[in-house]
Amino acid sequence: MSCSADAVKEKLLWNVKKEVKQIMEEAVTRKFVHEDSSHIIALCGVVEACLLHMLKRRAAGFLRTDKVAALFTKVGKTFVVAGDVCKKVQELQQQVEGRKHQPSGQEPLKRQGSATSKAPVLTPQAIKHIWVRTALIEKVLDKIVQYIVDNCSKYYEKEALLADPVCGPILASLLVGPCALEYTKLKTADHYWTDPSADELVQRHRIHGVHGRQDSPSKRPALGIRKRHSSGSTSEDRFAASAREYVESLHQNSRIHLLYGKNNVLVQPKDDLEAIPGYLSLHQSADSLTLKWTPNQLMNGTLGDSELEKSVYWDYALIVPLSQIVCIHCHQQQSRWTLVLVSQDGTQRPPLHFPQGGHLLAFLSCLENGLLPRGQLEPPLWSQQGKGKVFPKLRKRNSNKSVDLEEMPAEDASTDYVFRIIYPGHKHDNITINYHHLAASRSASVDDDEEEEDKLHAMLSMICSRNLTAPNRMKDAGDMLEMQGFGASALCWQLEPCSRGSSCVSCSSGSSPRDAPACCPCLRDRTPLKMLCESMKKQIVSRAFYGWLAYCRHLSTVRTHLSALVNHTIVPPDKPSSAAGGLTKEVWSKYQKDKKNYKELELLRRVYYGGVQHEIRKEVWPFLLGHYKFGMAKKEMDQVDEDVALRYQKVMAEWKACEVVVKQREKESHSATLAKFSSGSSIDSHVQRLIHRDSTISNDVFISVDEADPAERDCRGRDEPGVTAVSADTPAAAALERQSVEFDSPDSGLPSSRNYSVASGILSSIDDGQSVSFEDGAEEEAGADLDRTGPDTARAQRARAAVLQSQDSASEEQLCSQVDYLMDVASVCAASYTIELLDTVALNLHRIDKDVQRCDRNYWYFTADNLEKLRNVMCSYVWEHLEVGYVQGMCDLLAPLMVILDNDQLAYSCFSSLMKRMSQNFPNGGAMDAHFANMRSLIQILDSELFELMHQNGDYTHFYFCYRWFLLDFKRELLYEDVFTVWEVIWAAKHISSEHFVLFIALALVEVYREIIRDNNMDFTDIIKFFNEMAEHHDAEEILRIARDLVHKVQTLIENK
Amino acid sequence: MAGGERAGSGVPECREHLFKVLVIGELGVGKTSIIKRYVHQLFSQHYRATIGVDFALKVINWDSKTLVRLQLWDIAGQERFGNMTRVYYKEAVGAFVVFDVTRGSTFEAVSKWKHDLDSKVLLPNGSPIPAVLLANKCDQKKDGSQNPSQMDQFCREGGFVGWFETSAKDNINIDEAARFLVENILANYKTFPNEENDVGKPKLDLDPLKAERGERS
Repeated sequence: MSCSADAVKEKLLWNVKKEVKQIMEEAVTRKFVHEDSSHIIALCGVVEACLLHMLKRRAAGFLRTDKVAALFTKVGKTFVVAGDVCKKVQELQQQVEGRKHQPSGQEPLKRQGSATSKAPVLTPQAIKHIWVRTALIEKVLDKIVQYIVDNCSKYYEKEALLADPVCGPILASLLVGPCALEYTKLKTADHYWTDPSADELVQRHRIHGVHGRQDSPSKRPALGIRKRHSSGSTSEDRFAASAREYVESLHQNSRIHLLYGKNNVLVQPKDDLEAIPGYLSLHQSADSLTLKWTPNQLMNGTLGDSELEKSVYWDYALIVPLSQIVCIHCHQQQSRWTLVLVSQDGTQRPPLHFPQGGHLLAFLSCLENGLLPRGQLEPPLWSQQGKGKVFPKLRKRNSNKSVDLEEMPAEDASTDYVFRIIYPGHKHDNITINYHHLAASRSASVDDDEEEEDKLHAMLSMICSRNLTAPNRMKDAGDMLEMQGFGASALCWQLEPCSRGSSCVSCSSGSSPRDAPACCPCLRDRTPLKMLCESMKKQIVSRAFYGWLAYCRHLSTVRTHLSALVNHTIVPPDKPSSAAGGLTKEVWSKYQKDKKNYKELELLRRVYYGGVQHEIRKEVWPFLLGHYKFGMAKKEMDQVDEDVALRYQKVMAEWKACEVVVKQREKESHSATLAKFSSGSSIDSHVQRLIHRDSTISNDVFISVDEADPAERDCRGRDEPGVTAVSADTPAAAALERQSVEFDSPDSGLPSSRNYSVASGILSSIDDGQSVSFEDGAEEEAGADLDRTGPDTARAQRARAAVLQSQDSASEEQLCSQVDYLMDVASVCAASYTIELLDTVALNLHRIDKDVQRCDRNYWYFTADNLEKLRNVMCSYVWEHLEVGYVQGMCDLLAPLMVILDNDQLAYSCFSSLMKRMSQNFPNGGAMDAHFANMRSLIQILDSELFELMHQNGDYTHFYFCYRWFLLDFKRELLYEDVFTVWEVIWAAKHISSEHFVLFIALALVEVYREIIRDNNMDFTDIIKFFNEMAEHHDAEEILRIARDLVHKVQTLIENK
Repeated sequence: MAGGERAGSGVPECREHLFKVLVIGELGVGKTSIIKRYVHQLFSQHYRATIGVDFALKVINWDSKTLVRLQLWDIAGQERFGNMTRVYYKEAVGAFVVFDVTRGSTFEAVSKWKHDLDSKVLLPNGSPIPAVLLANKCDQKKDGSQNPSQMDQFCREGGFVGWFETSAKDNINIDEAARFLVENILANYKTFPNEENDVGKPKLDLDPLKAERGERS
């Protein structure tokens, strides 16, 4: 009697341990546990079972049906903590009551996180366990249990678990861990984003409209390329909230991949019931694989709301974490397959009956895929060409038990397979065994013999694979008999292994029957099961400890990593005075009056927290960008300006001279190309050239071109040697050269018409009249090309002429004053231009022109004159950095500087400083990769749920959707006025909070819309599209605030170590 | 990969296709203009250089039974960051390769773009995605004469399914080119009916409700 009572208590406690272990593991591995997690429900259930064990009738309340409620109320009278929980539960219950009367139309609103229904929505399971659950989430369950244990005589019979001097305190201490966890509702600790702005709600509405899951197909422009929505089911609206959520959880969603789904799989939920059809699905989340089976009654919504909630079918539904399963048994009967899952504790799950067809194989292959990379099926499925996965042949085991597997031919129609789920990399230390459980559990199975055998398999495979005992020290099968006293149903199975060594082969290592005894009955060292259980208890405790330790280590890694991203000194927003007003005119004039005593850091602090007043931006930016240094005297500043002006003019002169030569070359090749156009279309002539290269086909047009006048051939002949001479340096240069020559080489030398539409609009001012003077030069150049190394007077003359011309048309003041200097430069440069250089310059000029023309054309500042300035600055910068060259996006970075500074020399100097950081983002810079990697770490640490979502939705944790953000410092994401502020803050942040402030802005952008990202289950396409559409619609103030807060959060995290 | 039911694929009524179509080519050849013309029926001087990628969606009532959504990926013309192109190209089922008839070098680059495309994305059956060559800015071309057979030849050799002379400014041939590309994309689906609409994403067919309906109907 007392023995069985102890067993019950142990069982109860064991269940609690198991759930505690689960929940702690989830907390460690995933770094969060969701409030609605099934682990919480499971834990509540087992704790409740303990609490109800031998509860005094008096304590339980004679009339009350909810005994737990009675207990809590009673405890609440004397224990304040429990009293608080009682109040909380009552509130929750009222809310639940209230919600029941609301129309179901509320539901979608809530799902969008609308502010109207802030109260948590509880699932029926959560309501069922509302008392224990509330205490757990309020983190006081352990205290309440401890209180009850301390005062157990008041509430419990002597034999009760809670009255047990050992078990009671153990229970209380087991709950300490789960009560220390934060349970999340998908919010981080700081709920910045709980109250969306109206603008954002509109935005959300728009997004939902676009993305609407149950709209008619024609109304719904799909956001994601790979989403297939079910095209509407009206009955779904009738689902109660929880039911709907459950059923939706069966769909592929943000965190869970649906690996397999099959309807009308039969399950016999109870012995005395008919098998009922349901939907079988296999779900994969980050770290677990779960099998679910849902009765059709719940799936298709034929029940009403209330019926549905109360439905017994909820009890029939299966949710099986595959991590608990060690064996899968497949039986075939009359061409229908039945699958039985066997847990590590030997429990069998109700058999799943598959419809006819290859469904079982499909399921198994999905399962096999889902187990990867950690787990696998043993034996693995075989791949057969043309047929896909097939059952492994050798491992087939016949259901006829008396015959050894190798001897048994496959003549019997009824065939069975046993698959083990193994995790090869693991040490098998994470599984505990309960033998009592083995005896107690007994589920419906097709065949009793089969069932017993299954248990045996499970048991043996479990023992063999867990290494609980050394497998080699086996003496004889008789040892097994020692165990029979511990399991009530042991008698029927324990004799079998002696007679059939082969039976364990199929479930253990798959070795030949002769090896079987060596590994099979491996429980030889007579360890009493009780001791085993004791050691398991220790395992649980130590695992919990190691879980905690792992978590601490994780946090420390995080700190180390994060500490590199932020400055460690926290500069507060309110000391010495509030900096929220930013850098105002007043403060700035004070600084200018007293430069020596005004602290740079204080100015930067103001910029960081409040930006710069617009009127003084022009003065302040050169300081922020490092053109001037803070504290410089007027004289020093003038000196800086003078130096910059000189350098700028020099650079301008250099590239302008080169540009002339480039234009000349272009003109020549154009005349040639245009001449070709006159004899055929441009495309044709290109095609001709291509064909010519291939030398495979000739045709009339081509021949006619080839036979053009001898002068042209002569011209070509003269061209080519020069080319070869120059390009001999490197193979790459040679290749480049050939290409350009092929394009440039004139097929016909008649400059019949001129069209420079391709060339920059700005420079097209060099009109045909001027080019007449170039024609002579062209002749000369052809000759001069032969000897490039010597001084080339013809070229210098031509350059001089061109510069004079361009100077007229472009009316460049400073250029005019520098003509003589320029002439010198031009003549020197012209001599040293290589064809590679000219090609590079030509390419860059073209790119710059293309982008300058279309740079922010909508913004008032960019008139033709100012675009010309923009171009000059850009060309100057690129001329100095030809190795990188012009990359698209550079214009975007220069444009705001031009707008604020409105001075080319200043803009040139500031842009050069800005590009010291920004050029690293352009191809080959390496900074972009670093940004992405940092984003990855930061999101992983600060918002692991979102990270999971990104990972599971096609894995866009490469963060390529942030590319434009980082490339342009958010210039395209924000309106001009906001760009100014954000840039200032980024520049100041380097000294105030973080050199990598852009990361935190990016993070803020993601976090601001995280609900939308999550609710819409966005994949890469969706998110990149979303942010493209949201460009210039962000609330820059808010984003900056969040970004600053995030930096602060990370700083505090590091400080606290 | 996943077996499961394909119940949804048998529904005969209105077919809906979502096609990811790339628009690629050298910088400044008019990719964005073509898309804007095609989707919004306008030619604007006020677009900006594309950085990264832009999107546009065009819905076509193909026939009484078929609705086609083209998701146009307007990809920046200059070299991009590392592996990003591959991610952009992923799961595309068609492409426009654009060049500027007034700039020979952009035509030279067509083969480079096509090669890049074919090396980074393929149809589920392993063949290259259908690509149409667009000779844009034909309104600026000086002479009217044309030699289509030369271009046809180039397309055959370059693996293009066809080519069009287009002008986003004057709205020449853009609808025709798009229609031609969609025909080719649809033809691919007819050839490989099993691929249906879900490009390499069979698991999406496993939507439980859909499977449920399919089985019952």
